[in-house]
Parts: sequence; C-alpha cells; structure tokens
Amino acid sequence: MTATVPLLSVDNLAVHFATKRGVLHAVDGVSLNIGEAETLGLVGETGSGKSVTARSLLRLVPTPPGVYAEGRVFFRPRVLCSTCGGTGCATCGGIGRIPAPCPACSGAGCPACESSGRETLDLLRVPERKLRDIRGNRIAMIFQDPGKALNPALSVRQQIAEVFAEHRSQELLEAAGADGDSSSGAGVLMRRAARGRSRLVERRVLDIPPFRSRYARLRGGLDDRIAEALKATRIPNPRKVMNSYPHELSGGMKQRVMIAQALACDPDLLIADEPTTALDVTIQARILDLIDELQEKHHTAVLYISHDLSLVRRISDRVAVMYGGKLAEVASTAQLFDDPLHPYTKALLSAIPSRGQRRGELVAIEGAVPEFIAPKACCRFHTRCPFAGPLCSSKDPALLERGREGHHAACFLYDSPDDVDAAPDLMPSWQGKRV
Amino acid sequence: MAIAATPLRPESSPSLGRNIVTIRGVRKYFPIKEGVLQRVTGHVRAVDGVSFDIPRGETVGLVGESGCGKTTLGRCISGLLPPTEGGIYFGLDDEAHRRLDDLLRMPAGSRTPEQDRKLDELAARYRIDAMPKERWKAYRRNCQVVFQDAFSSLNPRQLVKDIVGRPLRVYKEAFGRDLNARVIELLDDVGLGEQHLYRYPHQFSGGQRQRISLARALALEPDFIVLDEPTSALDVSVQAQILNLLHRLQQEHGLTYLFITHDLNVVRHMSDRIVVMYLGKVCEAGPAQQVFDHPRHPYTEALIAADPGRHGDRRVDLRLMGPIPDPARPPQGCRFHTRCPVSTKWCGWEVDDVVRQLESAGRTLEGLTGVERRSEFSADLRFQTEEQAEGLISALRSAAVPEAMRAALIDLRRNGNEVVLRFEPVDEVRLESIEPEHETACVLHTSQYPQVRGE
Repeated sequence: MTATVPLLSVDNLAVHFATKRGVLHAVDGVSLNIGEAETLGLVGETGSGKSVTARSLLRLVPTPPGVYAEGRVFFRPRVLCSTCGGTGCATCGGIGRIPAPCPACSGAGCPACESSGRETLDLLRVPERKLRDIRGNRIAMIFQDPGKALNPALSVRQQIAEVFAEHRSQELLEAAGADGDSSSGAGVLMRRAARGRSRLVERRVLDIPPFRSRYARLRGGLDDRIAEALKATRIPNPRKVMNSYPHELSGGMKQRVMIAQALACDPDLLIADEPTTALDVTIQARILDLIDELQEKHHTAVLYISHDLSLVRRISDRVAVMYGGKLAEVASTAQLFDDPLHPYTKALLSAIPSRGQRRGELVAIEGAVPEFIAPKACCRFHTRCPFAGPLCSSKDPALLERGREGHHAACFLYDSPDDVDAAPDLMPSWQGKRV
Repeated sequence: MAIAATPLRPESSPSLGRNIVTIRGVRKYFPIKEGVLQRVTGHVRAVDGVSFDIPRGETVGLVGESGCGKTTLGRCISGLLPPTEGGIYFGLDDEAHRRLDDLLRMPAGSRTPEQDRKLDELAARYRIDAMPKERWKAYRRNCQVVFQDAFSSLNPRQLVKDIVGRPLRVYKEAFGRDLNARVIELLDDVGLGEQHLYRYPHQFSGGQRQRISLARALALEPDFIVLDEPTSALDVSVQAQILNLLHRLQQEHGLTYLFITHDLNVVRHMSDRIVVMYLGKVCEAGPAQQVFDHPRHPYTEALIAADPGRHGDRRVDLRLMGPIPDPARPPQGCRFHTRCPVSTKWCGWEVDDVVRQLESAGRTLEGLTGVERRSEFSADLRFQTEEQAEGLISALRSAAVPEAMRAALIDLRRNGNEVVLRFEPVDEVRLESIEPEHETACVLHTSQYPQVRGE
C-alpha cells in the first residue's frame, strides 16, 4: 500500500469571482491534504471562502462568474479490492478497497503519478465526463440545507435511484439477469431503464408481459439497494420513507436521506458542508454519530465544513482555520484547541460562551470579514488583529510549521525579524493586549 | 440634543411588582382543517398550559428543540398571537400576583361566584388581552420583539432611518430633525453610526442587521424585550459581539429579556433563569446555574449531553431515540416518555405507544384490520389471523419495546384474533417544586408517584 500520498491534495487553489466592483478573491492560495479515512475540519466565518473551497473540489462553482485562477486538486481514487471484490480481506486490510493503480505505469511509478504509482486525477482539469463519474460516486457531498438540496418534486426513492442509475447501472442489470441480450431491443430498453433514462412510452412497453418480469426484477433490485442505503443511516421503516416526498419528512430525516444518497456509492471522500447547521442539538448529535460510524465502516475520508468550533472539535482529526480566502492555521485537533497559535483562532475560541465567563465580557472580534476585491499582499486578518504591526499590512505571511510537528500557522508573530527581512519595529507584538 | 417627552410608563407607582410579566396556564392550539368545508379535525397543541414568571431586570432563557412551541409562546407573550386559553399578566404588583395565584390554584369549577368576579377584575386590569385600550397600548410599547431572521424582519424597501424611526413616528414621539437625532442616538447605542442612516437593509451583514433590529426595539425605551433566537443565524465571533451588546443595553436601560434559543451555551451565558420546554409544556424551570449543574429532568440532561462542546465530561450517555411525537396527539403522562432513556412504568404508556415503539424498532403491525379504543390506555386490536395477533403479543413481550412499557402493561392477552391491551392509567405529570425556585415535571424527582422511588 502506498499510504504516503494523501487521498486528496489541494495545491495553491485560487478561485476568483468577477464582480462589478472588481475581481473578488474568494479563495486565494489554499493548500490542503486529506489522508485516507481522515476527517479534516474546515472552520471559518461567513465569507471566509470555506464553501467555495469545498465546491471547487468537485468543480461545482459556476463559471462564469467564478474563475479557477490557479492551483490543482489531485485526487487519488480507490477501486474495489481485486482479491476479495469488496468484502474485505488481508490484502486490502478488511476495507474492501485498494488504491487505483496509475494507468500510465500500472503502479510502478512515473512522472504522471508523481512516482506514487496511484492513479492521480487533477479535478480542475479532467474532462467533464470523467468528473461525472467521480461526483456522487468517488467524492460525495452533503449540503447545508437539506430542505433546499432535495428536489421537492421527486420522492426519496427517485432521488436515490438517480445515484444508482448514474453510477451502478451495469451492476443493476447484472443483478436483474438482463445483461446477456445486450443487442436485442429488450436489452436496449433495459439498459436505458437501469440508467434512469426511460421515457413514458418505454415504461409502458416494459410493462408488457415479455419484458415485465425482467423489468420487475430490475426495479426490485434497485428498491433493495435504496432501502439498504436508507437503512444504513438508521432510518426506521426505509420502505415507507422511500415513497415519501421531502416535505413529509422532518429536518433530521431529510438530512439522513441526504447522507444516504451521498454514501450510496461508498465514496472515498465525503464533503459535508455544514450538515447540521439547520438541525437541533439532539438531532445534530445523532447525525454526527452516524457520520462517525459510517466513516469507521467504509474508511471514508471526510471534509467537514462548519463555523462551529465545538462541533469540529468533536468530529475532526485535523482542523484547518480559514480566513479571507486563506488558511490561517492547520493543526491536529488537540494541538489547535489546546494551544492555538494564530490570533484569529485564539479569538474564535474565546468567542464561544463557556462556563465561568462573565456576562458581557465575551471576547468578540470587532468588525466583520472584509471583502477581498483585488487585495494587495498582506495578512488578511491585520485589520481586526489586536497585535498587528506595520509589516502585517504589507507582506503576506506564509503558512509554516511553528513549534510542533504538523502545526502550521500563517502569522509573523512567530517569526524573528531576520526571517522575514523586516526591521524589528515593523513586526507585530503580543505586548499590552489580551486575547 | 433635544429629546422628545419621556415615554409614558404604566403605573410607575412605587409598588412595582417583582415580576414584569406573569404567564399563567397559557395554551395555544392551532386548528387542523380538512376537506372542502375546512372542517376542523383536530388541534396542534403548540403551547399546552405553560406558567412562569419573568422577574424584572432579569433574563429568562426559554430553551427547547424546534417544534416545542417556544416561538409560539414568545409570540403570545409579545401580544402577536392571542392565546387560546390562559393569560399573560403584565405589571402585577406583588399583592395582586399573590391574589391571582391563590385564585388560579383552585380548580375552575370550584370557585365561588365572588371569586370568579375577583378573577375577572384582575384580568380586566392586568391580563393583556382583556386590559383597557390605554394599558394595552402601554404594554405594546413596553414589550418589543427582536426576531430570529434579520433578513426578513426588516423591510427591504425602507431606509434604516425609516425602519428605526418608525416606532417613534407611530407613537408620535418625534418628527423631522428631532426624529433624525433620536435615530442617530439609537444607532450609536447599538454600535452603528450616522453614516448608516441612508442605507437599505441589504447593504448590511447579518450582525449589523441584528443591530438595526435591536435599535428599532429600543426606540420606545421598553422595559421588556422578547429575543427570539437573536444570534442563531450569526457566526460565533459576531454572536459574541451581539451578546456583549445585549448585556450592555440591559445594564444601561434596566431591560428585562425573554431569551428564546436552542443554543445551550448561549442560554447559560445570558440567563438568570431557564425554562425548558418540550412539546408545548414546561419540563424544568429554575435558576440557570442550578439547572445546568443539577438538571432534574432527563430531557434537560439529554439536551446538555447533546451539546458537542461538552465532550469528555459526559456523565450519562443520553441518546434520545425516536422522533418528536406529533403535537396534535401528544403522549399521555409525561410527554417525553416516548424518547426517555430512564422512563418508568408511571410515565404514561398508552395504546399509541404500541405503534410508535414498534415502528421505531422497524416492525409494522401486519394484518391489523381494526382498533377498538376504550380509552387512551386500553384497546382491542383486531388482526386478520390468530398468528398475527400472537406475533404482536410476543413483540410486546420482547426487548423490541422498552422494559418500562412492558411493566406498564397490566393486561395483554389474545381473544380469538383480537389482542386485548390495557396499560396502567396515569395522570398527566405535574410541574412540582423540588428545591426553592427549581421546578421539574419528572416523576423520578417529584412526589406525584411515590412508588417510583420505592422501586
């Protein structure tokens, strides 16, 4: 196993938006790695660019107005284990999945795969058709508001059937035993039905006795899979829920349907964009447990986006803090919460009301996230940072490892003047202020 | 700067009571209408008999999941919705408060005509839906509301100046240049400034919009503000700004808050007293610190345990099972018993629970043809075949249903292809004081069923 390369590596991603007032730098040079079965929390205020980052991983940002200005997103998919076929064995470590070998060198290591021997796709450049194979199949996404992300005109069955029709039509056909007669008219009809492309007339034809039994088998197999996907998210009575429409379900149930849909194809990476913001704490706790449990079972990596730090602390292995389109700090969860380095992270942490804090004395970050239209080189946080010095408004701090292994922060407070070629009086300082 | 006349206060006599607003037995039912004739087929019991006091100068936190009726109650209190039953009393002095409680303590039927007359007298003077027009107007200006969604509660076609100045104009407090000066003062008070006067709401961020809502609420110098989830749409850093601002305003203006929220961190930080609601009823009420440190209702415990910020110090691992029951048919006894991890046989197990529990366990009642219900606690279930009836009986005796429910079944037998079910009938659980100021509605802590503690 080549466990050294991460599942997904984002390299200097920049996403800009053309607006009337100029070019808005929504994401400006973000580099991230997500390892296999790892949970990375991405935290930031509204307007910090965290959702745009997540959406651009699947190229979901509409262009125009968006522009993928720079960067690459390398994704190394997994395939079913060739030894056991997905049931779990010694070769794949019981996961049922192994890294897909590089098609150019078949695992030996070549420049195309950066000598990792794994198939490496640049998600910002792969053709649209290839991307369709990945979306919902290898990388799935849960959106913030399940009320808006589910189609109100389709039943739960139809929405989840779409996923299977798009990515699992071949398997469905094989399961229905209708794969043999691919050249006949019936075969064509069945293939179209399995891919969810049947028209009304075709469905009528499929109801005629010679086709009916095979079509029924196909539908039965599909229903079984849908019910199984729903059952995995611990929805009671999946067969009943399948036939309901989104408006008949509660918020927590809708979010479960979204999760069922996202996990239907057993993806390698799950992007969860504030999945519990619209839910109550009691429901939220159960959704988090569910994501945890499913991650354990399928060894899925999770990119968990939230503005709620306490939530991210509960679920993540590592946390990245984003501000103004740039990463301010990346560290393991324990490091970040026990000993935050960046002033922004410190301020965010102390803004959560907690036991023992006097009323009216919460540490608020004054002001709001400014808009970054054609920004000059500067620390993005300098306008609100209590420690900022003249250097912060003229130079961009690099995201460097500070102190401990794996703890990165982008702040001049940890540099000596010589490191950054600046006069000592330009440097920011801790003096005289509190956070 | 010239400021218009000081706002009129109701009865600013020296005998101001301890409580600014007193809520007694408030119910709010919404009819469910069906068919062409819009016949009323049932009621959603959004708020179902809630009583508590809001002490002057304090912050009362109202917590609960969505759908528990906290917003509806907030709307009733602010006079935006008329309650179906019960009353909201405003400006009761301590003497009147005591008299009211004495009268209300008696069951409705057992009051003498004299006592009824006294109660009506009190209502006509203090109850907001029965008080004279003048006092009602005074209440309306003394009780302001800040809504959750600052995007939809500000008119997108009005300038900030008009939004904030509107109450002053309506109450003829200020005009022209005076009005502008007042608006600027109000904006200053909430951390905005003169430069924001001629802007539209869409030009502001969420936090700033909430500040505008607050400025509007403060315009008439109210004593009491209902804050309906004022920070739940905001980021933590902005939330901290607004919470600090709310605290400063409370100190400066001597305000009383009713803080409605589902965020426990916020409510612990802001409140002096906490009222926890579940399905339209209060399940626990008490001083904030005490409720958080020693919760005396499993629902409160579950809410606290579900808070992701508290990982590590979970005393009890409480997972609420199942969905929130339909408020049109709330469960008997304690409304929480269907999801309660520590329920007892006295918690109100009933016929409906058979369906609820078996559904959440993934079973369906196959072959059920009819139900003959004698009461909430007793029914005959008719099946197509004897085997199906036998299946239900064995399911009800198995671990598919909670142990407490099995204990509450006093009769379960098969009669042909019918299943005869009878549960122990219990009364609705009462809210009882267990410590000074600390009330709970859980049979584990109150004296309603002393047998519970004996077991």
